[in-house]
Amino acid sequence: MSRLRDHLPLPAEGALISPPEGDATPFEVFIQLLRGKPHVHAGTVDAVDSEMALQFAREHYGQDQACVHIWVVPRSAMLGTDYEHDVIWRSTDRSYKLARGYQVHNRWRQFRSKEDVKEYEKEDLKEHY
Amino acid sequence: MSVSASVDLKLDWDIQEDPVKLVPFEERITKGELVEPDDWMPHNYRVGMLRMAEHHANSEIVGALPEGEWITRAPTLRRKLALIAKVQDEVGHGQMLYRVSQDLGKPRDQMLRDLITGKTKYHNVFNYPAPTWADVVMIQWLVDGAAIMNQATLADGSYGPYVRTMKRINMEEAFHFKSGEDMVLTMMSGTPKQKQMAQEAFDRWWAPCLMFFGPLDKESVKTSPFMRWRIKTATNDDLRQRFVDRFAPAALDLGLKIHITVKDQDGMVTEKREDTEIRRNEKTGYWHFSQPDWNEFHRVVKGNGPLNKKRVALRRFSYEQGQWVRRAIVGGSDLPPLC
Ligand SMILES: [Fe+2]
Ligand SMILES: [Fe+2]
Repeated sequence: MSRLRDHLPLPAEGALISPPEGDATPFEVFIQLLRGKPHVHAGTVDAVDSEMALQFAREHYGQDQACVHIWVVPRSAMLGTDYEHDVIWRSTDRSYKLARGYQVHNRWRQFRSKEDVKEYEKEDLKEHY
Repeated sequence: MSVSASVDLKLDWDIQEDPVKLVPFEERITKGELVEPDDWMPHNYRVGMLRMAEHHANSEIVGALPEGEWITRAPTLRRKLALIAKVQDEVGHGQMLYRVSQDLGKPRDQMLRDLITGKTKYHNVFNYPAPTWADVVMIQWLVDGAAIMNQATLADGSYGPYVRTMKRINMEEAFHFKSGEDMVLTMMSGTPKQKQMAQEAFDRWWAPCLMFFGPLDKESVKTSPFMRWRIKTATNDDLRQRFVDRFAPAALDLGLKIHITVKDQDGMVTEKREDTEIRRNEKTGYWHFSQPDWNEFHRVVKGNGPLNKKRVALRRFSYEQGQWVRRAIVGGSDLPPLC
């Protein structure tokens, strides 16, 4: 214990002298880990303006992994759906609007040899089925 | 994303870009890095990219028109649902691509106005008529098939927002194409009358699809660095050859014949004879084919195709009718305040 601490000038008990100031504004932080990839939500910081939020976001979310870009958005500027009441993806059969809703491979085989169908399907965007 | 609206949107090959910026920019592209809207980019890169994205957006919007006409007449409920979803997808593609174009510096309203006043173009293929349900079938198999081939190469480009949009679009294109295949397989497994309808529609669409990929490489006057900058990643002739290699043998196996056609002013076939060039080169594996009538292509590009005027007139009608909506949303300060 330093002598300074032994002689703190403020009382340790009783009513506070400083009035409450309230919180700063929450900002949601989105980080991008690789150029060209989507930004993903990383967390939230409190700040008085977007400059400060960006500075905090760099420190909190930009230093523990190879982050290349950050966006901050005031939470008040965001609007979201309601889990209870908003149905976004209907669960009725909507296979008619998906590539996998159409099983054409066997139908092609009625017209073409296995090799020809295979060759033809090479250009398919298979990642989307 | 702050791009001032006053960017000069003309290509200018006399511009000397600052090498201190240009060299690292080109190095990034060579390494496969994506360019983002706020990055420095050469003037002609911005303009070239904007022109391509805007032309693509226009094509998605106008491309919805020929098929939209058929929604009320689809043969089954499932086909109708699929067609509604497909047309909605295409308009959505247009929205996304106009958004990409806006960030390159051109206001959206200007793009809509330029399209209907003929200052900008859309894809030639949508100037042809779809007189029967079989045309809807051929559009979804051949035109969407051609679009996928083109867009798969564009998804490998260098401009980040466009590349990401292409990937999203291609997911939906995969549905359009499978639905098209399903329909062509249905028709070619059907009655003689269905097969004949399919053949007649195929005759109308084969040549426009060959033209889809643009003029012959030897005639396209681009001495520009668009390939080096990866705005384009494949040549017209390469894409056309890949299209023929995939679709000619498939069509033949389905029982379709490939014809060389002559069309009247309305885009209807008046004469046809079998394309005797169609065969596989056993040495190279490539398919031979007859070139389409390139004079017709240039005529249609200049605005004299079967439906150029009708397509633009319908867009113009909808723009004019939508005036009150635009005014209510982004209109002038003379409007009464929202309650
Ligand atoms: Fe599309
Ligand atoms: Fe499509």
